Amino acid sequence: MDVMSLAANWTFDGLLALALLWVGWRVLASTNLFKGIVFFIAFGLLVALSWVRLEAPDVALAEAAIGAGLTGALLLAALSRLRRRQDSAQASDQPLDAETSRTARLSLGTQALLIVFSAVLFVCLGTAFLSLPPLTPGLGPQVAEQLSASGVTNPVTAVLLNFRAYDTLLEMGVLFLALVAVWSLSPAPAQLVTAPGSILISFVRVLVPIVVLAATYLLWIGAYAPGGAFQAGAVLAAAVVLILLAGENTMPAGSTWPLRATLSLGLGVFVAVGMSLMGMGRSFLDFPTDQAGNLILLIEVAATVSIGVTLAALFLGGQPQRGSPK
Amino acid sequence: METIASGQPWIIWAVFSPLVGAIFAFLLPRHASLVGCLAALATSGAILGLVRQVVEFGPQRYLLGGWGAPLGVDLQADGLSVVMLLTAGVVGAGVTVYATGYFQRSSQAARAFWPLWLWLWTAMNALFLSADIFNLYVTLELLSLSAVALVAVSGNADALTGAMRYLLVSLLGSLSYLFGVVLFYGAHGTLDIALLGDLTGPSPADWVATGLMITGLAIKSALFPLHFWLPPAHAAAPAPVSALLSALVVKASFYLLLRLWLDVFPVSTPVAGQLLGVLGAAAIVWGSLKALRQKRLKLLVAYSTVAQLGYLFLAFPLASTLAAATAWSGSVMFIVSHALAKTAMFLAAGNILRSVGHDRIAELGGAQRSATLSWIAFAIAGISIMGLPPSGGFTAKWVMLQAAFASGQWWWSMPIIGGGLLAAAYVFRIVALAFAPIGAPGTSKSVPKRMELAALGFAVAAVMAGFATLQILSLLDSGAPFGQIGAEAVL
Amino acid sequence: MTATMAYATAGIGLFVLGLYALSAYTHLLRKVIALNIMASGIFLVFGAIAHRAPGQGADPVPHALVITGVVVAVSATALALALMLRIQAETGQPRLPDETSD
Repeated sequence: MDVMSLAANWTFDGLLALALLWVGWRVLASTNLFKGIVFFIAFGLLVALSWVRLEAPDVALAEAAIGAGLTGALLLAALSRLRRRQDSAQASDQPLDAETSRTARLSLGTQALLIVFSAVLFVCLGTAFLSLPPLTPGLGPQVAEQLSASGVTNPVTAVLLNFRAYDTLLEMGVLFLALVAVWSLSPAPAQLVTAPGSILISFVRVLVPIVVLAATYLLWIGAYAPGGAFQAGAVLAAAVVLILLAGENTMPAGSTWPLRATLSLGLGVFVAVGMSLMGMGRSFLDFPTDQAGNLILLIEVAATVSIGVTLAALFLGGQPQRGSPK
Repeated sequence: METIASGQPWIIWAVFSPLVGAIFAFLLPRHASLVGCLAALATSGAILGLVRQVVEFGPQRYLLGGWGAPLGVDLQADGLSVVMLLTAGVVGAGVTVYATGYFQRSSQAARAFWPLWLWLWTAMNALFLSADIFNLYVTLELLSLSAVALVAVSGNADALTGAMRYLLVSLLGSLSYLFGVVLFYGAHGTLDIALLGDLTGPSPADWVATGLMITGLAIKSALFPLHFWLPPAHAAAPAPVSALLSALVVKASFYLLLRLWLDVFPVSTPVAGQLLGVLGAAAIVWGSLKALRQKRLKLLVAYSTVAQLGYLFLAFPLASTLAAATAWSGSVMFIVSHALAKTAMFLAAGNILRSVGHDRIAELGGAQRSATLSWIAFAIAGISIMGLPPSGGFTAKWVMLQAAFASGQWWWSMPIIGGGLLAAAYVFRIVALAFAPIGAPGTSKSVPKRMELAALGFAVAAVMAGFATLQILSLLDSGAPFGQIGAEAVL
Repeated sequence: MTATMAYATAGIGLFVLGLYALSAYTHLLRKVIALNIMASGIFLVFGAIAHRAPGQGADPVPHALVITGVVVAVSATALALALMLRIQAETGQPRLPDETSD
């Protein structure tokens, strides 16, 4: 690599790192929460860009779709609900700018202490990072060695769905549990948006099939190239959210079992595959090499559907009620 | 060293019985309590199977996916994991019975409780059996989310704010832990506990990673002064949930701290050990004093948990010497006996709350004519909390005192004994109420018998645990978790 | 260890900034955002660690773990936001009450 392009790379990475810090600070310190969330989404995209620079396209996709996109959507939905309730409450002791009052009533001393502590922590963590050996191979070589036996050629998918499939199973469990928890807290708000325009509706009709197609592509390509169930599921969730935003309340009531079954599908298939392999005298989730690709695809398809519906249901923010208004 | 599990894979069933139950409890909300009972039965069976396996064949390792560490994730079961698993199993099964009486069938709260409780159980069993520090992070998150959601089940403002504070603190603890995982992987290129244990040493990265993990887990275990989140959350939760949180959940993160301390962290961390011990002693004093001053019964019991958790941390300074195995054994005995006694206390408090309609201590005088068995249960559980013979609490403290004197650090005996006296003060404060003149009739509701019997059962078990000390310690020893320090005869 | 240093520094910085904001701000939405920023910071440090050997390609294991972490983070965020909305509904405030004792 010649000196010029090396210098250009350095400059780009340095600037991106600075931008991360600056936007990150804007997210946290903006006086207005809405602005802060917009900065958060921009921050997520910068993080995704950083992951591209770190040669982690799979993570970049996941960060863009879930970290920036879905988390951003969750935050915006929560903020709009907060504000709507605050408007309707009209309590005199809650000034509308309550959300802009930023810091706790910390004394100057406490704040100074906090800043000193943060600085010390930064130095400790930095020292720890610098003291890391410059070149530990990590598990990269072992992954490469066993990749041909994993049933897929994308090493990240191989780790997620074969070598460390148990992690991924429990992670599906975390997502499922979050939904159970959110449902146990509250019913879904009756109305998601106020009267969508007809342009939005026709736009959604065109967009949704394209988004679903994109999700299918991401799922399929995950075996060979960046992509996979979580990225595809997040994109699928976007399609469901679009439908919900257009006011076509297609989310069936929470007490009907098809929705519950769809939500449990991914985890259920994952566990069922693991158990069946045990029934065949192998250990849990020990895929036979020649069947590994198919089994992983089966798990991923089920997972994508569940992830998509779960993320969309989390966006809805509560248990859909029987006969909730359209 | 460890045998690769052969025969019936009980280790898998111990994790997946409650997990499958959780899925079905969600799919069939109307039959959630039935699903819960069946899952509890299956889980208990799996735990017993695994205990037998470990006793017969020694520690077990299970290679998930057949890969084996470091590429794959392994499960492991040694004496320490099995004792924790068994404690969780006994408390879990009992609380399951209690909950069938506590929650009205197919009420909103019951529908919420069962899948969340089964997830909590899954998370604990997965945590006790995992041998991979990143996998442990995922189990920690499962544990936090299910515990937080369970606190919020009662739905009132206290429970919700308690749950929120618990969630924020828990997530902070998890992130701190996760940063440690990242640094350990960066330094050594593996996530497996056993492999990592051979590689860690006195380098800055390892020290910082250790510090981050200890801090994260101490927050989650509510070590003084990071305990502020515990009393409101544990007191505002429904009674069966309070019992699970105080008896088990805080100990799950303590177990992980102990596991990493023994197997992963760079050896000889005496300064950190002394610090943890001092904080533990402070927790005993502070928690007990706060318990003495509470106006509500459940808050009193919750502050008692803060105090009792302090005892667990006294093992760290004691274990940096020759008395290590004794100190750890005392700590584990304490986990078991406190789990039983605290379950009894919270269940009894829940019964009293239900029968009287409130738990304001000042107005509880003479309330014993209803829920009499629960008052008795509270008093009996108090024997173990105070540490009187022959209870489990007594033997645990006795073993710890031995460690203190054997290691030449007699001063640690002061918080051990002083904490018992303070505990006696707050327990008698409640028990004395039972002898107050009987109040005006007609204000009490009846409590299902099984709820009273569950409380009483745990109270008796907490006292009887003293007689089972040798069995518990030999079970602990069957996996020789403290072997690398040099196991020595205890008692 | 060239440009990856920049991302590691940014990651550590974001973790510390997030921690500061988590302690300093009272609005629950801000606290949730702060936790998300902290998590992003940790993930970036992990990414930098995976990328220490330039030219050899990055270590895929941290990448897979970070994807797991991202999903865990969004799950926790969803629960936290739902709790926050319930708290606002019950107490009228999207923040935690001040500690009266202790």
